Amino acid sequence: MNEIIRVKNLSVGYENEIVLQNLDFSINETEITVILGKSGCGKSTIMKTLIGLIPPITGDVYFYDEKVDYLSEHVLKSLYKKIGVLYQGSALLNSLDLYENIALPIRMHYPDLPVLIEKEMVYSRLSQVGLRGSAHKLPGELSGGMRKRAALARAMILDPKIIFCDEPSAGLDPITAAELDHLMLELRKLFGITFLVVTHELRSIEKIADKALVLNEGYMHYYGEYSNLISLKDPFIDSFFLKNKTAQRNSG
Amino acid sequence: MNMITKSMENEIYLLTLPSQVTIDTIMVIFNELNEFQKIQPQPALEIDFKDVETFDSSAIALFNSVKRMGEHVVFSNIREDMEKAFAMFPLTLETAKQISKPEKRRYKKRIENYADRFLKMLGEMKEFVSLLTDEIYYMGQYLSKRKGIYPGEITNQLYFMAFKSFPIVTLISFLVGITISITSAEQLRNFGADIFLADLVGFAMIRELVPLMTGIILSGKIGASITAEIASMKVMEETDALKTMGIIPEKFLMVPRLMGITMAIPLLTALADFVGIFAGIIVARVFSSIPPDMFLKEMFTIVHLGDFLIGLMKTLVFGWIIVFSSGYKGFSVKQGAAEVGIATTDSVVLSISMIIIMDCIFAILLY
Ligand SMILES: Nc1ncnc2c1ncn2[C@@H]1O[C@H](COP(=O)(O)OP(=O)(O)OP(=O)(O)O)[C@@H](O)[C@H]1O
Ligand SMILES: [Mg+2]
Repeated sequence: MNEIIRVKNLSVGYENEIVLQNLDFSINETEITVILGKSGCGKSTIMKTLIGLIPPITGDVYFYDEKVDYLSEHVLKSLYKKIGVLYQGSALLNSLDLYENIALPIRMHYPDLPVLIEKEMVYSRLSQVGLRGSAHKLPGELSGGMRKRAALARAMILDPKIIFCDEPSAGLDPITAAELDHLMLELRKLFGITFLVVTHELRSIEKIADKALVLNEGYMHYYGEYSNLISLKDPFIDSFFLKNKTAQRNSG
Repeated sequence: MNMITKSMENEIYLLTLPSQVTIDTIMVIFNELNEFQKIQPQPALEIDFKDVETFDSSAIALFNSVKRMGEHVVFSNIREDMEKAFAMFPLTLETAKQISKPEKRRYKKRIENYADRFLKMLGEMKEFVSLLTDEIYYMGQYLSKRKGIYPGEITNQLYFMAFKSFPIVTLISFLVGITISITSAEQLRNFGADIFLADLVGFAMIRELVPLMTGIILSGKIGASITAEIASMKVMEETDALKTMGIIPEKFLMVPRLMGITMAIPLLTALADFVGIFAGIIVARVFSSIPPDMFLKEMFTIVHLGDFLIGLMKTLVFGWIIVFSSGYKGFSVKQGAAEVGIATTDSVVLSISMIIIMDCIFAILLY
């Protein structure tokens, strides 16, 4: 399997605060990797670093064996052609309707594409996420789950190699969350898309995860096959899963 | 009422708490303890909980603060449930004190404060200049390649900036025209120089008042909305989303607004000039009995096309100032809805100040 991302000795954080250090992991094509950890441990921070929104403090990231220079606009531009991002708060543009939001990457990067093809592309994505009927609604007129699905449609409109998802199922009911998971698995199967997913939902993790990256206290606690995770008998991981299970039972 | 009594046998003061120790009754106990501490700084005090039936977190806060009075305070007859509740509210203030750095001497702190602020200001200026140069570059790039902004967005912005603000701009211009004409007419009449009202009003409106008033109104109308919009997009991660779609937010959001204002300003200025002078004509006719044709004839001996162009140029510069500074303020927001509001008011203040400074510079340069 081809390696798509390799992270070497990476430290991430903000101007006056290192959030995570000594990160080492790699992500293979078509794998689904989940990032686990307590709230505030830096899951979103890793993701923002990998997609170039905040510069890494030390260490390197390789994308298809090529070192990513996050300071070069040129490098970032070519990186952004190959990735899609689903933000924690959806981040759809509020002034555009759903259709326009999803068509935005096409219109910006391929302005000469015939309208007919654009329509075909946008509507098929909208159908894939079950929003064919809401194409001309504004994001403000949608529920949180619908916005999430629309954001996923936007993230995949230009067939990215990898999609980064920050808590895709947070705030969704179990049925919609399961649909989203199903959608990811389908996309992986049909188009070979790789996913890096931050999530707390055990049900979802069990269903989609190939690999797991567990973070704790500023370091990488575990990285490897998800299936090995449970048999590890590690107190932190056990408490994490146990807690998660009780929390889910209580809320559900 | 004295709640604290002194027991005779063992020199211990005793405070027996009432049955209700809640936020409604706590002040009495607090004051009592305070008074007591003033008279007896280090007494042995026993606080008796035996009558306490109801208590809340404010009670725990009170007793945590009492614990800080020292070792000589003892609690007696605490029920088990209260014990548990106490355990859930650790002595946070004390620990907070331990972590906080020792206080620096005042004057040193103040100097550091000024230095920090100065450095911060320099940093902000650097950011402003770098946004400015970026925008000039993006404008050039857009004009040569026609890429990087959303199709139709310039028209949208033009509609918003010109069409939506022309009523207020013309109204204000008309009212300012009336006011300045009446004030001047009165003075000129004293010298028997009524006819020069035309020159004065024409010149003042076209060269000075229309640009300034338009600038100030648009700071509030356009500037504030640009800042609020961009700032809230930043907070909602929409600008991040644009970035990771390979779209440059500083270009995508600012170029249409800059193009819009560049097209809107000439329309607005011409209209405002026209209305302002029209106001002058009305006042001249009503107050000084000068017929309109004479007014215009007189005015055009002094006011030329050049003056109109200078006024236009000034307004255009003011418009760019508004868009730049409000965009800058919008992009400077990091996170949190509160920052959006602060940035919005800041942007109006910033653009109005910059407009007035620039106006002064123009006055000196064009003298
Ligand atoms: N813009 C910022 N500037 C400075 N520190 C930040 C910033 N954003 C987050 N942090 C800090 O970085 C740490 C990690 O935050 P992050 O958002 O990555 O957490 P997270 O794991 O995604 O949490 P959650 O599950 O709640 O989303 C936190 O301690 C937070 O205070
Ligand atoms: Mg997060």
